[in-house]
Amino acid sequence: MNGIQIKTLLLSALLSLACTTKVSEWVLVNAPAGRYTLVYFNKDQISETVRTRNAAISREISTANIDFRTVERQGIEKPWYALYYGNRLFARYDDPKSLAGLTVSTLRQKIASEIMAGKLCVLTYLTTGNKEKDDRGMQIIRNALNDSPFKNIITVTELNRNDAGESHFVSMLLNVEDDLNTIQEPMLFGVFGRFRALEPLLGKGITEENINLMIDFFTADCSCVIKDDLPGMDILFTDNWDNPSTAMVNRILDENPDLLHH
Amino acid sequence: MDQDSVTYDSLIARPLPKWLTDQRDGLNTIQPARIEMKDDRSLTVSFILTGAIILLAVTVLTIYILRKKKKNQ
Repeated sequence: MNGIQIKTLLLSALLSLACTTKVSEWVLVNAPAGRYTLVYFNKDQISETVRTRNAAISREISTANIDFRTVERQGIEKPWYALYYGNRLFARYDDPKSLAGLTVSTLRQKIASEIMAGKLCVLTYLTTGNKEKDDRGMQIIRNALNDSPFKNIITVTELNRNDAGESHFVSMLLNVEDDLNTIQEPMLFGVFGRFRALEPLLGKGITEENINLMIDFFTADCSCVIKDDLPGMDILFTDNWDNPSTAMVNRILDENPDLLHH
Repeated sequence: MDQDSVTYDSLIARPLPKWLTDQRDGLNTIQPARIEMKDDRSLTVSFILTGAIILLAVTVLTIYILRKKKKNQ
Protein backbone atom coordinates (compact mmCIF):
# COMPACT_ATOMS: atom_id res chain seq x y z
CA MET A 1 0.00 0.00 0.00
CA ASN A 2 1.64 3.25 -1.06
CA GLY A 3 1.43 6.66 0.61
CA ILE A 4 -1.43 7.98 -1.50
CA GLN A 5 -3.58 4.91 -0.83
CA ILE A 6 -2.98 5.23 2.92
CA LYS A 7 -3.89 8.93 2.84
CA THR A 8 -7.05 8.25 0.83
CA LEU A 9 -8.06 5.54 3.31
CA LEU A 10 -7.48 7.86 6.28
CA LEU A 11 -9.44 10.68 4.61
CA SER A 12 -12.36 8.36 3.85
CA ALA A 13 -12.37 7.19 7.47
CA LEU A 14 -12.42 10.80 8.68
CA LEU A 15 -15.26 11.74 6.32
CA SER A 16 -17.28 8.73 7.40
CA LEU A 17 -16.96 9.93 11.01
CA ALA A 18 -18.25 13.41 10.08
CA CYS A 19 -21.50 14.50 11.69
CA THR A 20 -24.65 13.71 9.75
CA THR A 21 -26.97 15.45 12.23
CA LYS A 22 -28.62 18.43 10.62
CA VAL A 23 -27.67 21.93 11.75
CA SER A 24 -31.09 22.73 13.24
CA GLU A 25 -31.19 19.54 15.30
CA TRP A 26 -27.57 19.63 16.40
CA VAL A 27 -27.82 23.20 17.69
CA LEU A 28 -31.03 22.45 19.62
CA VAL A 29 -29.56 19.40 21.30
CA ASN A 30 -25.96 20.46 21.82
CA ALA A 31 -25.44 24.21 21.78
CA PRO A 32 -26.34 25.90 25.06
CA ALA A 33 -27.89 29.34 24.69
CA GLY A 34 -25.51 32.24 25.21
CA ARG A 35 -26.11 34.05 28.48
CA TYR A 36 -27.20 37.61 29.07
CA THR A 37 -26.38 39.69 32.11
CA LEU A 38 -28.75 42.09 33.81
CA VAL A 39 -26.78 44.60 35.86
CA TYR A 40 -28.19 46.91 38.50
CA PHE A 41 -25.97 49.98 38.75
CA ASN A 42 -26.21 51.88 42.01
CA LYS A 43 -24.05 54.47 43.69
CA ASP A 44 -25.13 54.29 47.34
CA GLN A 45 -25.94 51.56 49.75
CA ILE A 46 -28.92 49.57 48.52
CA SER A 47 -32.10 50.14 50.52
CA GLU A 48 -34.17 47.27 51.82
CA THR A 49 -36.94 48.06 49.33
CA VAL A 50 -34.55 47.88 46.38
CA ARG A 51 -32.96 44.73 47.77
CA THR A 52 -36.38 43.06 47.96
CA ARG A 53 -37.26 44.27 44.45
CA ASN A 54 -33.99 42.99 43.01
CA ALA A 55 -34.47 39.65 44.73
CA ALA A 56 -37.90 39.39 43.07
CA ILE A 57 -36.41 40.27 39.66
CA SER A 58 -33.64 37.76 40.16
CA ARG A 59 -36.17 35.05 41.06
CA GLU A 60 -38.33 35.91 38.07
CA ILE A 61 -35.50 35.57 35.55
CA SER A 62 -33.73 32.68 37.24
CA THR A 63 -35.01 30.10 34.75
CA ALA A 64 -33.75 32.02 31.71
CA ASN A 65 -30.34 32.30 30.06
CA ILE A 66 -29.46 35.37 32.10
CA ASP A 67 -27.50 36.25 35.24
CA PHE A 68 -28.25 39.11 37.59
CA ARG A 69 -25.54 41.27 39.15
CA THR A 70 -25.35 44.39 41.25
CA VAL A 71 -22.56 46.86 40.56
CA GLU A 72 -21.70 49.89 42.66
CA ARG A 73 -20.61 52.79 40.48
CA GLN A 74 -19.75 56.31 41.58
CA GLY A 75 -20.74 59.34 39.54
CA ILE A 76 -24.15 58.18 38.35
CA GLU A 77 -27.21 60.32 38.94
CA LYS A 78 -29.67 57.55 39.70
CA PRO A 79 -29.67 53.77 39.71
CA TRP A 80 -30.54 51.90 36.52
CA TYR A 81 -30.59 48.45 35.01
CA ALA A 82 -28.58 47.44 31.96
CA LEU A 83 -28.97 44.38 29.77
CA TYR A 84 -25.75 42.97 28.30
CA TYR A 85 -25.08 40.14 25.87
CA GLY A 86 -21.39 39.39 26.24
CA ASN A 87 -19.90 42.83 26.54
CA ARG A 88 -22.51 44.50 24.34
CA LEU A 89 -25.01 46.81 25.98
CA PHE A 90 -28.42 45.91 24.57
CA ALA A 91 -30.77 48.06 26.60
CA ARG A 92 -30.96 50.45 29.52
CA TYR A 93 -33.94 50.51 31.89
CA ASP A 94 -34.39 53.44 34.25
CA ASP A 95 -37.75 52.16 35.46
CA PRO A 96 -37.78 48.67 36.97
CA LYS A 97 -41.35 48.25 35.69
CA SER A 98 -40.01 48.19 32.15
CA LEU A 99 -38.27 44.88 32.99
CA ALA A 100 -41.64 43.13 33.00
CA GLY A 101 -41.72 40.35 30.43
CA LEU A 102 -37.97 40.53 29.85
CA THR A 103 -37.44 36.79 29.60
CA VAL A 104 -40.79 35.57 28.35
CA SER A 105 -43.58 36.71 26.04
CA THR A 106 -46.46 35.14 24.14
CA LEU A 107 -44.71 35.05 20.78
CA ARG A 108 -41.45 33.72 22.21
CA GLN A 109 -43.39 30.92 23.93
CA LYS A 110 -45.08 30.06 20.65
CA ILE A 111 -41.78 30.02 18.74
CA ALA A 112 -40.09 27.87 21.38
CA SER A 113 -42.98 25.37 21.37
CA GLU A 114 -42.72 25.04 17.58
CA ILE A 115 -38.98 24.37 17.81
CA MET A 116 -39.48 21.86 20.64
CA ALA A 117 -42.16 20.13 18.55
CA GLY A 118 -39.46 19.23 16.02
CA LYS A 119 -39.95 21.98 13.46
CA LEU A 120 -36.94 22.89 11.35
CA CYS A 121 -37.04 26.58 12.25
CA VAL A 122 -39.35 29.50 12.80
CA LEU A 123 -39.06 32.31 10.29
CA THR A 124 -39.78 35.47 12.24
CA TYR A 125 -40.81 38.27 9.93
CA LEU A 126 -40.24 41.65 11.57
CA THR A 127 -42.45 44.18 9.84
CA THR A 128 -42.07 47.94 9.64
CA GLY A 129 -45.65 49.18 9.50
CA ASN A 130 -45.19 50.16 5.85
CA LYS A 131 -47.89 47.95 4.32
CA GLU A 132 -46.47 47.95 0.81
CA LYS A 133 -42.97 46.86 1.89
CA ASP A 134 -44.27 44.37 4.45
CA ASP A 135 -46.71 42.72 2.03
CA ARG A 136 -44.09 42.44 -0.69
CA GLY A 137 -41.70 40.64 1.67
CA MET A 138 -44.43 38.35 2.99
CA GLN A 139 -45.47 37.39 -0.54
CA ILE A 140 -41.87 36.40 -1.35
CA ILE A 141 -41.69 34.31 1.84
CA ARG A 142 -44.97 32.55 0.95
CA ASN A 143 -43.78 31.85 -2.60
CA ALA A 144 -40.47 30.46 -1.38
CA LEU A 145 -42.14 28.18 1.16
CA ASN A 146 -44.81 26.98 -1.26
CA ASP A 147 -42.07 25.67 -3.52
CA SER A 148 -40.06 24.15 -0.67
CA PRO A 149 -40.28 20.47 0.25
CA PHE A 150 -39.78 21.60 3.84
CA LYS A 151 -42.80 23.94 3.92
CA ASN A 152 -44.69 21.82 6.47
CA ILE A 153 -41.89 21.91 9.01
CA ILE A 154 -41.24 25.63 8.85
CA THR A 155 -43.41 28.06 10.79
CA VAL A 156 -43.69 31.71 9.80
CA THR A 157 -44.54 34.28 12.46
CA GLU A 158 -45.10 37.95 11.88
CA LEU A 159 -44.03 40.55 14.40
CA ASN A 160 -44.51 44.27 14.15
CA ARG A 161 -41.50 46.21 15.39
CA ASN A 162 -43.87 48.52 17.29
CA ASP A 163 -45.64 45.71 19.14
CA ALA A 164 -45.61 46.89 22.76
CA GLY A 165 -46.19 43.40 24.16
CA GLU A 166 -43.10 42.07 22.40
CA SER A 167 -40.87 45.11 22.85
CA HIS A 168 -38.07 43.12 24.54
CA PHE A 169 -38.12 40.49 21.80
CA VAL A 170 -38.07 43.17 19.09
CA SER A 171 -35.19 44.94 20.84
CA MET A 172 -33.16 41.73 20.99
CA LEU A 173 -33.81 40.94 17.34
CA LEU A 174 -32.73 44.44 16.36
CA ASN A 175 -29.52 43.89 18.33
CA VAL A 176 -28.52 40.79 16.37
CA GLU A 177 -26.39 43.18 14.31
CA ASP A 178 -25.38 46.60 15.46
CA ASP A 179 -26.96 48.63 12.66
CA LEU A 180 -30.35 46.93 12.43
CA ASN A 181 -31.96 49.55 14.67
CA THR A 182 -31.29 52.19 12.06
CA ILE A 183 -32.75 50.26 9.12
CA GLN A 184 -36.46 50.72 8.47
CA GLU A 185 -36.92 47.66 6.29
CA PRO A 186 -38.75 44.38 6.85
CA MET A 187 -36.42 41.71 8.21
CA LEU A 188 -36.58 37.93 8.14
CA PHE A 189 -34.89 36.14 11.03
CA GLY A 190 -34.37 32.39 10.99
CA VAL A 191 -34.90 31.24 14.58
CA PHE A 192 -33.64 27.78 15.50
CA GLY A 193 -31.89 25.79 18.22
CA ARG A 194 -32.29 27.20 21.71
CA PHE A 195 -33.78 30.42 20.39
CA ARG A 196 -30.89 31.44 18.24
CA ALA A 197 -31.63 34.08 15.60
CA LEU A 198 -29.56 34.23 12.42
CA GLU A 199 -28.45 37.56 11.04
CA PRO A 200 -31.53 38.56 9.04
CA LEU A 201 -32.39 38.91 5.41
CA LEU A 202 -33.68 42.43 5.06
CA GLY A 203 -35.35 44.66 2.50
CA LYS A 204 -34.44 43.58 -1.00
CA GLY A 205 -32.32 40.78 0.47
CA ILE A 206 -35.57 38.91 1.17
CA THR A 207 -35.61 36.85 -2.01
CA GLU A 208 -36.71 33.31 -2.77
CA GLU A 209 -33.10 32.38 -3.50
CA ASN A 210 -31.87 33.67 -0.14
CA ILE A 211 -34.75 32.04 1.75
CA ASN A 212 -33.86 28.74 0.09
CA LEU A 213 -30.23 29.23 1.14
CA MET A 214 -31.46 29.77 4.70
CA ILE A 215 -33.42 26.51 4.53
CA ASP A 216 -30.33 24.81 3.06
CA PHE A 217 -28.32 26.09 6.02
CA PHE A 218 -30.75 24.47 8.49
CA THR A 219 -31.04 21.18 6.62
CA ALA A 220 -27.33 20.70 5.91
CA ASP A 221 -25.10 18.35 7.86
CA CYS A 222 -23.70 20.15 10.86
CA SER A 223 -20.04 20.55 10.00
CA CYS A 224 -17.26 21.55 12.36
CA VAL A 225 -17.12 24.86 10.50
CA ILE A 226 -20.60 25.71 11.78
CA LYS A 227 -20.10 24.20 15.23
CA ASP A 228 -16.96 26.22 15.83
CA ASP A 229 -18.41 29.52 14.68
CA LEU A 230 -22.15 29.34 15.03
CA PRO A 231 -23.72 32.33 13.30
CA GLY A 232 -26.45 34.45 14.88
CA MET A 233 -27.27 35.45 18.42
CA ASP A 234 -29.26 33.85 21.23
CA ILE A 235 -32.50 35.44 22.34
CA LEU A 236 -33.37 35.72 25.99
CA PHE A 237 -35.88 33.06 26.96
CA THR A 238 -36.72 30.50 29.60
CA ASP A 239 -33.76 28.17 29.51
CA ASN A 240 -35.54 24.81 29.44
CA TRP A 241 -34.72 22.85 26.31
CA ASP A 242 -34.78 19.29 27.61
CA ASN A 243 -36.36 16.43 25.63
CA PRO A 244 -37.30 18.07 22.33
CA SER A 245 -39.40 16.02 19.90
CA THR A 246 -37.62 14.20 17.09
CA ALA A 247 -36.59 16.57 14.32
CA MET A 248 -39.16 16.35 11.51
CA VAL A 249 -36.52 17.12 8.91
CA ASN A 250 -35.02 13.63 9.23
CA ARG A 251 -38.21 11.91 8.06
CA ILE A 252 -38.44 14.15 5.00
CA LEU A 253 -34.80 13.52 4.11
CA ASP A 254 -35.14 9.77 4.67
CA GLU A 255 -38.12 9.66 2.32
CA ASN A 256 -36.44 11.94 -0.24
CA PRO A 257 -32.71 11.14 -0.32
CA ASP A 258 -32.32 13.43 -3.34
CA LEU A 259 -32.83 16.37 -0.97
CA LEU A 260 -29.74 15.43 1.02
CA HIS A 261 -26.85 17.80 0.71
CA HIS A 262 -23.64 18.05 2.67
CA MET B 1 -22.03 38.50 15.04
CA ASP B 2 -18.80 38.46 13.13
CA GLN B 3 -20.31 40.47 10.37
CA ASP B 4 -21.48 43.21 12.70
CA SER B 5 -21.51 46.09 10.40
CA VAL B 6 -20.37 49.65 10.58
CA THR B 7 -22.63 52.16 8.92
CA TYR B 8 -22.84 51.62 5.20
CA ASP B 9 -23.58 54.28 2.62
CA SER B 10 -26.69 52.48 1.50
CA LEU B 11 -28.59 49.27 2.00
CA ILE B 12 -27.29 48.09 -1.37
CA ALA B 13 -23.72 48.38 -0.08
CA ARG B 14 -24.57 46.43 3.05
CA PRO B 15 -23.15 42.92 2.73
CA LEU B 16 -25.26 39.79 2.93
CA PRO B 17 -24.92 37.81 6.19
CA LYS B 18 -21.80 35.66 6.33
CA TRP B 19 -23.77 32.45 7.01
CA LEU B 20 -25.66 33.07 3.76
CA THR B 21 -22.63 33.75 1.56
CA ASP B 22 -20.84 30.77 3.13
CA GLN B 23 -23.84 28.55 2.41
CA ARG B 24 -24.04 29.87 -1.16
CA ASP B 25 -20.31 29.31 -1.74
CA GLY B 26 -20.27 25.89 -0.10
CA LEU B 27 -17.95 27.01 2.70
CA ASN B 28 -20.13 25.66 5.52
CA THR B 29 -19.31 22.10 4.53
CA ILE B 30 -16.29 20.05 5.55
CA GLN B 31 -13.37 21.04 3.41
CA PRO B 32 -11.41 17.89 2.51
CA ALA B 33 -7.71 18.06 3.16
CA ARG B 34 -5.72 18.88 0.05
CA ILE B 35 -3.50 16.00 -1.01
CA GLU B 36 -0.25 17.22 -2.52
CA MET B 37 2.05 15.05 -4.62
CA LYS B 38 5.62 15.00 -3.35
CA ASP B 39 8.82 13.55 -4.87
CA ASP B 40 9.24 9.93 -3.87
CA ARG B 41 12.78 9.64 -2.50
CA SER B 42 12.25 6.40 -0.67
CA LEU B 43 14.26 4.34 -3.26
CA THR B 44 17.27 6.68 -3.03
CA VAL B 45 17.16 6.63 0.75
CA SER B 46 16.87 2.85 0.67
CA PHE B 47 19.96 2.51 -1.62
CA ILE B 48 22.01 4.87 0.54
CA LEU B 49 21.03 3.04 3.74
CA THR B 50 21.77 -0.39 2.21
CA GLY B 51 25.14 0.83 0.92
CA ALA B 52 26.01 2.30 4.30
CA ILE B 53 25.09 -0.92 6.11
CA ILE B 54 27.15 -3.03 3.67
CA LEU B 55 30.15 -0.70 4.04
CA LEU B 56 29.83 -0.82 7.82
CA ALA B 57 29.58 -4.63 7.81
CA VAL B 58 32.62 -4.99 5.48
CA THR B 59 34.66 -2.57 7.62
CA VAL B 60 33.76 -4.34 10.87
CA LEU B 61 34.45 -7.78 9.42
CA THR B 62 37.77 -6.60 7.85
CA ILE B 63 38.97 -5.22 11.17
CA TYR B 64 37.82 -8.40 12.95
CA ILE B 65 39.61 -10.72 10.48
CA LEU B 66 42.80 -8.62 10.43
CA ARG B 67 42.97 -8.62 14.24
CA LYS B 68 42.37 -12.37 14.34
CA LYS B 69 45.17 -12.94 11.82
CA LYS B 70 47.54 -10.76 13.86
CA LYS B 71 46.80 -12.76 16.99
CA ASN B 72 47.42 -16.08 15.23
CA GLN B 73 50.80 -14.90 13.95
